Amino acid sequence: MNEIKDLSSAKAEDVTVDVCVIGSGPGGATAAWELAAAGKQVLILEEGGDFIYPSLTLRDGMYDQLYMERGGRSTSDLAITVLQGRALGGGGVINACDVVPLHDGVLRHWQKTYGLTDFSPEALEPYRKLALVDLSANLPTEDQLNANNKLLRAGTAALGWRGEVMMHNRVGCVGLGRCLVGCAADAKRNPRFVAILKALDAGAQVYMRARAVRIEDATGDVKVIRVRTLDAKGYHEERSFVVRAKTVVLAANAVASAQLLLRSGLGNEHVGRNLSLQPQLPITALFERDVRLFRGIPQSYAVTEFEELATETTPLGGFRIEGIGATLGIMSTILPAMGPKGKEQMALLRRMAASLLLVPDGGHGTVTVDAKGRPKIGYAMPDEQKKRFRAAVVAAAKLYLAAGATKVMVPTAVPVEVTSTADLAAIDALTFEPATTPFLSAHQQGTVRFAASASAGGADPSGQVYGTRGVYVLDSSGYPTSSSSHTMTPIITTSRFLARQIASRP
Amino acid sequence: MALSRFSVLTRRRFLKALGAGGLLAAGSAGWLVALRGCAPSVAGLSCLTEHEHRTLTALAVALFPEGGAFAAGAASRDLARTFDAYLADEDEDRQSDLKRALLLLEYGPLVYDHRGVTFSHLSAEERLAHFESWTTSAELLRRQIALAFRKFLSMVFYDDETVWAQVGYEAL
Repeated sequence: MNEIKDLSSAKAEDVTVDVCVIGSGPGGATAAWELAAAGKQVLILEEGGDFIYPSLTLRDGMYDQLYMERGGRSTSDLAITVLQGRALGGGGVINACDVVPLHDGVLRHWQKTYGLTDFSPEALEPYRKLALVDLSANLPTEDQLNANNKLLRAGTAALGWRGEVMMHNRVGCVGLGRCLVGCAADAKRNPRFVAILKALDAGAQVYMRARAVRIEDATGDVKVIRVRTLDAKGYHEERSFVVRAKTVVLAANAVASAQLLLRSGLGNEHVGRNLSLQPQLPITALFERDVRLFRGIPQSYAVTEFEELATETTPLGGFRIEGIGATLGIMSTILPAMGPKGKEQMALLRRMAASLLLVPDGGHGTVTVDAKGRPKIGYAMPDEQKKRFRAAVVAAAKLYLAAGATKVMVPTAVPVEVTSTADLAAIDALTFEPATTPFLSAHQQGTVRFAASASAGGADPSGQVYGTRGVYVLDSSGYPTSSSSHTMTPIITTSRFLARQIASRP
Repeated sequence: MALSRFSVLTRRRFLKALGAGGLLAAGSAGWLVALRGCAPSVAGLSCLTEHEHRTLTALAVALFPEGGAFAAGAASRDLARTFDAYLADEDEDRQSDLKRALLLLEYGPLVYDHRGVTFSHLSAEERLAHFESWTTSAELLRRQIALAFRKFLSMVFYDDETVWAQVGYEAL
């Protein structure tokens, strides 16, 4: 034990442990740490590889290695790109480091509406605090805010709206600006550098390039997890072996955790339903001076004026506007024009600002599996959500104009350009038909939702999947509704909360 | 990169698209092959045929022409070969889907515009206009194909340090 083994090159043999944790992101790594610290023999399975300096090139080519399906995962209709980490440390390796804790209103909503009586703000408070400690959560300093995010703040102030600098989990950030393809300065205090190391110290073992493909004997004392090793790049399955464990912790993300249950024929009819993608729409604005959005912390300021926090009776609603920056390749895909005009737009990139419009949703997506066991993500955006996206585009356009933008660009197939408030009416005509708009999703939740009874959800309030004994989901799959505008911190919080319950059982 | 969930183009949908466009009724298989013409020889392809390589190159050159706002263009870069390498590591289903997509793109002018010419034989301006019509098409399939190929080619084209310098993107 106490080692990281890459199964693309190392030999894999059948093994028996107390706990098999599937996935090494915020949920899996935190659970592994807790359970190993409690004296359990823990094995973590991770499909991806280990990417830290100097293996992180910060090039667009890294999407191939750091994201599920080589960066190409999307809804079945290709309408929404679904971004999910696939590396040791999971989504924490490739996210924008935003630390947004579980809000009291979300927890009260889950208690009142979904019967998760244990999830009180008071009960979760120690775990919320521990999550912030794990993440070394801190506020970016004024000189760490880049021009892109400062423009967002300037527009917010000019309009008298609410906004805030967001906490993050960077320590020693040098402003490389390519956070979405990892951090070559190793400045992210993500699970790779915290929970995984703590779990190893406590005796856990990690198998990389190891894909769990089926769980058997899910009601028995010992579960059988069938695993296939992957090649060095993670493209192809190679050899098979078996892990036997009394307890299985699923933390592979809200798509893959449901996928594995469905492939295994486990759980009830709720498994795979209630998928929240929390879609985001990128928008750009042109200024007369350099912005250089690709340098510095990409996402540090949030416009919260239109965010509707959850209450006992209502889930998270409204929308947020947050700054964003990315590699050149990604930026090229969110600018609307092609051909010579597309090149003209790209030549103006230094003067562009960009933001993401985050619109929480209601969990109307699905995860199913095809004949080969691959996930299929179904999602039809309801009219109410499209309406909020239009409102978000209008708000972002007003904000950028107030900050001095000469043009705001909406990257729809028929591009909308706003140069003054007189142009805002064109936004009303946006229909957001599938594959006309570069929507993306970074915060998937809800496919095995916790509920007080099997008639209402896929797992009980302890995370145990209904119809199994000792198979738990400890990632965002369990969330009945959207937990936050950013899920890393809530996942660490609830994973530790539930893992300690598991550890306390005989 | 952008394409691995591209299993939307099943054989059934592909045949439907061809049939709806009237391609099957338009003429014999021999005529269709003749219309497509010969593709230049390309050594070392892993997965794409030379015709498929030509189609994708024709699209790349239309999307990223040499000159204009900055000098770099796709004509001097073999973006289709990068796609070939990518495709070689995908499973057979996805390879088939994407090859069908390229075939549909090649015959797009015939199927959708009822012109007796294939995509690779159009001028760069005509190719761009034809491709742009796919991005706004009422037909989801065409929008999906356009979105996926544009995204892949953009990410490859702009992941090039000589392009970075020309657009003011700073290397680290």
